[in-house]
Amino acid sequence: MIPLRLARRNLFRHRLRTLLTLGSVATAVFLITVLRPLVSTLDAGVRQAASNRLIVQSAVSLFVSLPRSYQEKIRAVDGVEEVLKFNWFGGYYQDPKNFFGQFGVDAENLLATYPEIELLSGSEEEFIANRRGCLIGDGLVRRYGWQVGDAVPIIGALYPRLDGEPWDFQVAGIYHSATSNVDNGTLFFHYEYVQEAQDAGAAGGPEGVGVFTLRLAPGADEMAVMADVDGLFENGPQRVQTNREAEFQAQFVSMVGNVPFFVNSIGGGVFLAILLAVLNTMLLAGREQTRDAGVLKALGFTAREVAGMLLTQGLFLGLVGGAMGVGLALVAEPALLSVLGNMFPGYGITLMAASFGLSLALLVGVVSGLAPAYLVSRTSCVESLRAEI
Amino acid sequence: MTEAAVRLEGVSKTYHRGGESLRVLAGLDLEVASGEFLALMGPSGSGKSTLLNLVGGLDRIDAGRIAVAGQELSGLTESALARWRSRSVGFVFQGFNLIPVLSALENVELPLVLAPLSRKQRREHAEYALELVGLADRASHRPAQLSGGQEQRVAIARAIVSDPAVLLADEPTGDLDRASAESVMELMERLNRELEKTILVVTHDGRAAEHAGRVLHLDKGVMETVTETIKS
Repeated sequence: MIPLRLARRNLFRHRLRTLLTLGSVATAVFLITVLRPLVSTLDAGVRQAASNRLIVQSAVSLFVSLPRSYQEKIRAVDGVEEVLKFNWFGGYYQDPKNFFGQFGVDAENLLATYPEIELLSGSEEEFIANRRGCLIGDGLVRRYGWQVGDAVPIIGALYPRLDGEPWDFQVAGIYHSATSNVDNGTLFFHYEYVQEAQDAGAAGGPEGVGVFTLRLAPGADEMAVMADVDGLFENGPQRVQTNREAEFQAQFVSMVGNVPFFVNSIGGGVFLAILLAVLNTMLLAGREQTRDAGVLKALGFTAREVAGMLLTQGLFLGLVGGAMGVGLALVAEPALLSVLGNMFPGYGITLMAASFGLSLALLVGVVSGLAPAYLVSRTSCVESLRAEI
Repeated sequence: MTEAAVRLEGVSKTYHRGGESLRVLAGLDLEVASGEFLALMGPSGSGKSTLLNLVGGLDRIDAGRIAVAGQELSGLTESALARWRSRSVGFVFQGFNLIPVLSALENVELPLVLAPLSRKQRREHAEYALELVGLADRASHRPAQLSGGQEQRVAIARAIVSDPAVLLADEPTGDLDRASAESVMELMERLNRELEKTILVVTHDGRAAEHAGRVLHLDKGVMETVTETIKS
């Protein structure tokens, strides 16, 4: 019943203070909205991992390669439908800052093993037929503008060509993966292209295969396959560790540190700080409006209506500040993508993160509005009218 | 005189602070006729303002009965009491108590927000009330842009805009110079005379009290020494 006009005017009674408070809410919501997707980006790969794929890696370390000969032995294990070489290349395009993932794979088995990879243009046949052929994600198309048929020179930092030239890949297809376990900013090429150069003494780099991806046969006993594969190489030459794809993805999350903990800690700290700041502002506002509250009660407004005036002001600070923060995050998204996109593939401001930021801002508004509203509603009309402001 | 606009029977009020009790009113009886202009005088702490607050439903009695504008107040809930105030009484305070962020017109319009009126009707009523107190040309001014006398006139316009039966004023001239005080009291006298408002004024100012039809004196916080002065 209290005119909104009165709540609005009171809010801007101290224009600078209100603007600064809005700015601090906006900054906090911006940070939370920007940081939150980091966690979900990392988690997405784990959550969306396929249940019919296992990853075989060295039991010593992910950075120790496995002998190529393991592929046939693993393929012979009961319950294994297919085995795919998957080898980290670690190159870059023109300049080290143009970094993205490149993997040497068995071209003929890639799409069958990863059905979530959908070709948008080009064809699997061209990819398989051309030893220099590669598949690139549509993220790379957006980043570099490459199209099917383009030559993509990649400098092999881990696998240098001895003639000093870059590796010469040719785009045979452009893909998009709907799930986050396959990054859309990756280049897949023929494992044999590099291996043959190594065998011919034309390229350096570690021998072997980084990991093998197993595709389980329908109805296969996952635990038994894992035990059998690990048991195959119990006595060497290189012991292996077989994991579900989700567990394998989780390793990467832990490798970059406990990001969720840090992000949540920072977010929690920011939230608490902003809650206290806005609460302080609203308690000051409540104190300044104590006599007004007494006048309003004397004029016939109920304690609840008077409390509503302060709650409205708190809600305004929360919601407008929150909307500003989310808006800022959306505006900054392209710049953030260029900074974080490499480290956090698939990073972007999600609807969930924006909703989360806005919800927190709303919570800040409600709590900071309720506190002075409660105090004012509890103060008698006579005491309010006597208040020294 | 006609029927009583204000009737107090055996009203008591005691304040409790820090373990101490201060009895302000004890068994007070008072009757103010409808259309009467009554001034209540007495030293500080005599209970004048407390009495005014009780009559206006801003505070609760401890014992006795109190009826204002035909409504027994002690049985009302807080919210019912608030709505009753909006219809039945208007307040004028010593410090004016206008809302600083609203214009004179918006201040006067404020009580009408609770009335079943359209925005246009509210505006018209508020303009009329401002005209009655001679401040139609100050409608858009904020309180800080008005003199003390003008602020008090706006406060009076706010008090009468919803056409309450009873007008309660607590030291309305306390913060004003002599000329402004005289002007404000003349205005109240006119409202009593022309609009037949029942007015109860608490004041220290003997000259202000001279405008009332009847003057009561309270002393030492109890109603044991009540005197009456009938204006000639």
